[in-house]
Amino acid sequence: MARANSSTSQGGSAVLGKGAHIRGRIAGDGDLRVEGTISGGVSLKGDLTVSDGAEIVADVEARSVTVEGSIEGDISATSSVSIGAGARVSGAIRGASISIEEGASVSGRIEADFELPPELGGKSGR
Amino acid sequence: MANTVIAQGITIEGELTSDDDVVIQGTLRGKLIAKDSVNVESGAVVEADISASSLSVGGQITGNVTASDRVDLMAGGRLIGDVKAARLTIADGASFKGNVDMDV
Amino acid sequence: MADVTVVGQGLFLRGSIRGEGDLEIRGRIEGDVEVTGEVTIADGALIKADITARRITVRGAVAGNLTGEEGVRLEDGARVVGDVRGAAIGITEGALLRGNVQTGAGAEGQKGRSRAAARPTVRVEPRKAAPAVVVSKPARRAETSSADERPGPPPPVVPALKKGARASLRKRAR
Repeated sequence: MARANSSTSQGGSAVLGKGAHIRGRIAGDGDLRVEGTISGGVSLKGDLTVSDGAEIVADVEARSVTVEGSIEGDISATSSVSIGAGARVSGAIRGASISIEEGASVSGRIEADFELPPELGGKSGR
Repeated sequence: MANTVIAQGITIEGELTSDDDVVIQGTLRGKLIAKDSVNVESGAVVEADISASSLSVGGQITGNVTASDRVDLMAGGRLIGDVKAARLTIADGASFKGNVDMDV
Repeated sequence: MADVTVVGQGLFLRGSIRGEGDLEIRGRIEGDVEVTGEVTIADGALIKADITARRITVRGAVAGNLTGEEGVRLEDGARVVGDVRGAAIGITEGALLRGNVQTGAGAEGQKGRSRAAARPTVRVEPRKAAPAVVVSKPARRAETSSADERPGPPPPVVPALKKGARASLRKRAR
């Protein structure tokens, strides 16, 4: 099981460079910027950035997730998920706030937690 | 002013209820209940019963109309159906076939 | 033509809107919307309907599937429960969605086919007496190449659904 090189328990910032291909899970307390490829889960307490050209084939969870590259797997963020215009995402997307730029290639399911107005069948206050 | 305008080229089919004025330039099939005025403009095609405060007919209506105030059938307008209104005008050049009840 | 049809805030439609042109919806619709132009769902609008158009911009509340051939944009204030399909899909931070998202030009064609299979499409045919109202593009129906043929395969062309049928179809589609 590969471990990302997160510098401190508070989390520092780690980069998985372009040439890096990881097969296995990555877990860490800090932030991670991925420029290479990962096939295996990513689980961070910090922020995950998937750069243009990077590829993750696995489920990811982090505080925030920013994608310019490709993620094939479910995305789960406690804060925001931002999918850029050049990104490719396929899988479920979950986050406190989700944004997708026009131009992104997205195939998946978004499950924001909210209620529709009662006229459209939403319950009042859930 | 929260107006509704059904433009030419659009067909609405069903039951329409409006709190505000309605202008119809396209096609309406079904039923229209408006609290305010309804204006069926030249070129419009309506196959519906209409209930409004006032109704102006410049287009074509096939259906019964009820107005709490007035119905004005303009030149070029065509109404096939019964009219129930306190006031009614039928312009020269308008076409009308139906019953009229002004005892509203 | 190409004046915008405005469904005012005080309007409630139980039925369908079809045809050529753009729509601005500020009121309430329960039914079906399918137009060739752009549809804008204003803040405060309440839509319980599938919407199919060239482009869709949402700032209000929608319970239904959105299919925008060129694109769909959910802006701040949008609340959508339903699937979103379009060549390009944009979702602003303040927009809320619960449903499937599918980008790509092929998404629209797929939808056309699966829609035809899932439920008969109501096509409003112009009555003989009425002026011609062009409703839908033949290219979007599976197997139909030219407008003048009556296609054998589904869907049957039905001028109007019987009472209650639309509600049960909607239930089935959900």
